[in-house]
Amino acid sequence: MDRRFPFKVLEHIFSFVDSNEDRNSVSLVCKSWFETERRTRKRVFVGNCYAVSPLKVARRFPKMRSLTLKGKPHFADYNLVPDGWGGYAWPWIEAMAARRPLLEEIRLKRMVVTDECLEKIAASFRDFKTLVLTSCEGFSTDGIAAIASTCRKLRDLELRECIVDDLGGDWLSYFPETSTSLVSLDFSCLDSEVKLSDLERLLSRSPNLKSLKLNRSVTLDVLESLLRRAPQLVELGTGSFSDELDPEEIAKLTKALSELKQLKSLSGLWDLLPEYIPLLYSVCPRLTSLNLSYATVQMPDLIDLLSRCSKLQKLWVMDLIEDKGLKTVALCCKELRELRVFPSGADLDETDVTLTEQGLVSVSEGCKKLESVLYFCVQFTNAALVSIAKNRPNFRCFRLCVMEPFAPDYRTQQPLDEGFKAIVEKCKDLRRLSVSGLLTDKAFEYIGVHAKKLRMLSIAFAGDSDLMLHHLLSGCQSLKKLEIRDCPFGDTALLENAAKLETMRSLWMSSCFVSFGACKQLSQKMPRLNVEVIDEHPPKTRPDSSPVERIYIYRTVAGPRLDTPEFVWTIHKSPEVGVSRLSIR
Amino acid sequence: MENSNSYSPYSSSSVDSTKPSPSESSVNLSLSLTFPSTSSQRETSQDWPPIKPRLRDTLKSLRLRQRGYNTALFVKVYMEGVPIGRKLDLSTFSGYKSLLENLSHMFDTSVISGGTRDRKHHVLTYQDKDGDWMMVGDIPWDMFLETVRRLKITRPERC
Repeated sequence: MDRRFPFKVLEHIFSFVDSNEDRNSVSLVCKSWFETERRTRKRVFVGNCYAVSPLKVARRFPKMRSLTLKGKPHFADYNLVPDGWGGYAWPWIEAMAARRPLLEEIRLKRMVVTDECLEKIAASFRDFKTLVLTSCEGFSTDGIAAIASTCRKLRDLELRECIVDDLGGDWLSYFPETSTSLVSLDFSCLDSEVKLSDLERLLSRSPNLKSLKLNRSVTLDVLESLLRRAPQLVELGTGSFSDELDPEEIAKLTKALSELKQLKSLSGLWDLLPEYIPLLYSVCPRLTSLNLSYATVQMPDLIDLLSRCSKLQKLWVMDLIEDKGLKTVALCCKELRELRVFPSGADLDETDVTLTEQGLVSVSEGCKKLESVLYFCVQFTNAALVSIAKNRPNFRCFRLCVMEPFAPDYRTQQPLDEGFKAIVEKCKDLRRLSVSGLLTDKAFEYIGVHAKKLRMLSIAFAGDSDLMLHHLLSGCQSLKKLEIRDCPFGDTALLENAAKLETMRSLWMSSCFVSFGACKQLSQKMPRLNVEVIDEHPPKTRPDSSPVERIYIYRTVAGPRLDTPEFVWTIHKSPEVGVSRLSIR
Repeated sequence: MENSNSYSPYSSSSVDSTKPSPSESSVNLSLSLTFPSTSSQRETSQDWPPIKPRLRDTLKSLRLRQRGYNTALFVKVYMEGVPIGRKLDLSTFSGYKSLLENLSHMFDTSVISGGTRDRKHHVLTYQDKDGDWMMVGDIPWDMFLETVRRLKITRPERC
């Protein structure tokens, strides 16, 4: 008893512990540390909204000021999770509104958020400052208007890639008439037009605004007027960049852009026309982040832009950049840390877009700080992967999507096993990996042996047998999230490694060979796993050996959830009950 | 309790109910696993390659616009009864008239569009982006360029 630190001292020490992982470790030391930690945690992160009940979280952290939640599995981003699966924000908002009215920040990812939720937030949290919704759906612009009008201390309102019922641009006029405290505003995912005068007036009375991301319907001819009112911007997402401007307008816009002395990040640029690239020259030298995902510019115009961005750390671009453009990046962008190259679909049109594995090899050679890659390519080679791994052992995130399923090394016709072996062998800090192309069980043996820090792994169209899954589940010590589609195995490896699943956040398998019987066995074996079968057909109508379409397995202390739709079946723990769909209506 | 729309049919790969033995060393392609192997399947697949919906939509419309403006628009043309198809760059034609003239020349027969279904003439049909077969000539040329995927010259009696 006397050897314990007084609460106040512990509290002070813990105030320096920021990361939630560290705080989780701290809370496991002993009861008094658990108590002190929980009373001092301000930022709460729940990686799976069904892993724990909202009430428990609200009770545990009385000083909570910020809540981050994630709902649907990651593969929902690619249409693999049917509509209506779940991930409802309401129970959380309701619980926090009742118990934690001092909550200031809510960040939600892949959740269903209704207007009711937004209205509740606006009505319940008097100091509410930050709302960030990423890949969320279920609300309309009315809900946004409620937030804008009621949250007087609002600093951040960011709608990132949400699906919004867009009832018009009126919501923008709901911000208070007196000056606002806005620091960041992102409505790039909305479709409808906002009134220019509303936007201009908002910018004029938001002196703290640092980040502004417009939607596509904001045309190029009005951009100058907006930028004039917000020269302090650090992040800018433009609207459409393709409308015709006369020379005077071009001159004015060029000047307005050059006045953005603090600008570090540029995005939007929908349909950027090559003739407008020179307008951006003045901002290029300061840019650390450039998102050209919607800028349909091709080579060689892209070179004019990229060769001027010597400070660039993050580049998102389409494969229209081709190998040649990536070579320029390798030469000019020495600070590059993150590269994403998306498929423009040009290969489907048989137009000439030469983006090959060579592009990524060049960048891995020239950009010594590169640590995160997402690369879409039609085919690849082992030799390229080996080079890349040798060049850049500092990769933390390596996601390669070879778009032809089962595509072997196109030079040697061999599987890409050896290439990915090099990646996991050399890149000892690898946290996230996506594999593709023709892969045998051997590839996964290598991953299991070497990828000790790997936390998230995505697999599609790969492997030969249950051995693949077995290698991963028995080898990858740090594995937290595993998502697999279209691979030919399931049962044996799952059942043999059931205990591993409780150390992970979740496992997703779709279009694999996992039988209903195995799901039942797994669920009965592991009390703290929810085994969800997502299937058009009721599992009871089929034999136990028949495979199910999708399974989603996640650890939870909240038991089976009560909000499953018709096509989701949570396997019950007791064999007599079998399968049930508990729901409250 | 919030529940979004009731169960909606969703596309998924259908898996055969017979499980392969773990000792099989290669993927059994005879099972009815549907995967986007051909480029046309990749074109219409909603879940491969793995890109987010907004990007997917943007890229679709990008390609449509590019087809209309500066990129060549190659489509395959088949004549019923002839196994080998021909490839045609639609962007080189100014409208339906020049397209039909060219096709008639290429296949050495008289090809017409919609309108009267004459027993004597071959009729030109096209497959649109939704996969449906339509009569050529029903919509403005520009719209046609945006939606056409394939062309087929049908035998006169068939129509």
